[in-house]
Amino acid sequence: MTAVAATRPPGRLKRVFERYPFLPAFCIFIVLLALNGVFSPASLSARGLTGLLSTYLALMLLAIGQTFVVYASDIDFSNGAILSLVNVVIIVFMEQMGGSGLSVTAALAVGIGVGLACGLVNGIVVAALRLQAVVATFATSIFFTGLALYVLPVAGTPAPRLFWRTYGGRFFEVPFVVFAALGIALIVYLLVRTRLVTRLLAVGDDAQAAYQSGLPVTLIRIGGYALSGVFAALAAFCVTGDTASGDPLVGAKMTLFGVAAVVLGGTALSGGFGTVVGSALGAFIIGLINALVYFVGTPSQWQNLVQGLVILIALMLGIMVSRRARA
Amino acid sequence: MIKNTSIALATAVALAASLATAHAESYKIGLSNGWVGSEWRTQMIDEAKAAAAAWKEKGVDVEVLVQSANVDVPGQVAHVRNFISDGVDAIIINPNSPTAFDPVFAQAKDAGILVIATDSEVSSPDATYVGIDQTGWAKASAKWLAETLEGKGKVVAINGVAGHPANEMRVAGYTSVFEEYPDLEVVNEVNGNWDQAQGQQAMQNLLATYPDIDGVWVQDGMAAGAWKSIMDAGKTGDIAATGEIRKDFLDLWVANDLNSGAAVNPPGVMASALNVAVFMLKGRELKEPATAGQYGNALYLPIPFIDGDNVAKVHEELEGKPGYYSYTSQLSIDEAEALFK
Repeated sequence: MTAVAATRPPGRLKRVFERYPFLPAFCIFIVLLALNGVFSPASLSARGLTGLLSTYLALMLLAIGQTFVVYASDIDFSNGAILSLVNVVIIVFMEQMGGSGLSVTAALAVGIGVGLACGLVNGIVVAALRLQAVVATFATSIFFTGLALYVLPVAGTPAPRLFWRTYGGRFFEVPFVVFAALGIALIVYLLVRTRLVTRLLAVGDDAQAAYQSGLPVTLIRIGGYALSGVFAALAAFCVTGDTASGDPLVGAKMTLFGVAAVVLGGTALSGGFGTVVGSALGAFIIGLINALVYFVGTPSQWQNLVQGLVILIALMLGIMVSRRARA
Repeated sequence: MIKNTSIALATAVALAASLATAHAESYKIGLSNGWVGSEWRTQMIDEAKAAAAAWKEKGVDVEVLVQSANVDVPGQVAHVRNFISDGVDAIIINPNSPTAFDPVFAQAKDAGILVIATDSEVSSPDATYVGIDQTGWAKASAKWLAETLEGKGKVVAINGVAGHPANEMRVAGYTSVFEEYPDLEVVNEVNGNWDQAQGQQAMQNLLATYPDIDGVWVQDGMAAGAWKSIMDAGKTGDIAATGEIRKDFLDLWVANDLNSGAAVNPPGVMASALNVAVFMLKGRELKEPATAGQYGNALYLPIPFIDGDNVAKVHEELEGKPGYYSYTSQLSIDEAEALFK
């Protein structure tokens, strides 16, 4: 280690890391992918990878949305509940409007609207009313869950065939989820170049300095929450496509996995530093860990425990590497 | 020399392997359970594993792969996807949702995998349900209660989680039975969320509000709690109430000579489903196609019943089992075979 440090100009690793903060996550991702392939070769087949993508696309979207909030050193503990709410709203909407192409499109628009509205509520509560982000979004999550239970009290109600056949289907021999992932990649590529995202990072880096330099800090933070709400709605579309039904509690357990994915991806919860690519990788790391725990043949009574341990180890590895690199 | 030996060895191994496959049938079956909150589920998995091992005597190798963890619906969808990747021959699932698995079951079927749901029915046309009829389960104990009360008196009901599909089927079951007895009045229905403490609390409240009730229809997982309240109120001899199938409750039942009856939802359902699955994998056809139930894909198993007549015998059978052990029953391999042509 010292020999390496001596031959290289100091700070080179640091510069590489600053340019690509998701590098540790990327390495963990590749290692996990390889391990999955070793223990279950079929999991790396086209079918296996498509399955992984369609299952964890929703978590990836939640994590991406969370990243924008975390950029400004806020947190959104309600995006899982927003996911549930959008899921049941579009299911009920499509059921009442019939399963035609037009009603599906309209349902998606309504879903985005609901996600955006929830995000704005969060933003106003946290940034404008200045309530503590952790507690405030926890409270709004209970409120959104209550709304979801009001809209659809019992899990069930099938989605129109058109909806889930599209999500699980293929176009020109390529699975739809691959197009969805590419579409999301394009949106994110354009989004991270917008002024809003740069300003979110500035606020997270030093809110006081941002304010003193004339940035509308409150509006910027509300913008972060709005993005998180919209991405939760997109995640809800994926869950609806994958499960073809409504469930008012479906997203509850996903919130914290989303936060874990953000941290796994190298984004600092203290704000001002991180990447969206890392969060997306983080979501797939969690998915690969869940699959790997099973593929190595962990006895059923230990599966929860081992899964938790491995996520913890992955977090530790990532944080240790990034600390060393940034020190 | 070394090379030659290793080639010879490899050939021998390959030969042995092909001989083994030629002589023994072997199947890989994935078991998925999405909730680990009760001993009943643990017992369900253990019995299914034992049933798989029992096929060895019949010359069939059944390898089971288990995924059992507290997961949300997407998590259990991932269970199914893992099984598809692993190339299993059949998947047996205790599903967390009745409707959410339609797409992934369709994918499993496309991959040539047999899908069987147990304990909770699913809407997918690509799966078969092998288990008890939850409505019939409720009807059996409601009928016992109505007949024990000779068709007249005041009854209360304590239910599980409002909105849960199994709970709704059970409510429909007892409601339809009680409607047949015009002199039987259901004075109140409450929810105890399948929790013993809440069941006990609910029963206390009910006894305070309606001191003159004659019967209680209470779901399993809460009946022991409800009975505790009845005994604390000194009404053991005056009230007939449904019971449950755990060893610790049967101890209480026999020791206090309770006036109780319990329809059995046996943890052996997954083992029964496994035995049925193996015959399906062998390419055998059901005598009666599985077309029962609201989704038209169910094969219902018999529901045993425990009441005053056989409780002593049942209790004896469970001698030495731990308190959380549930009375069980399952289709043996021969009983399962009798369902096939």
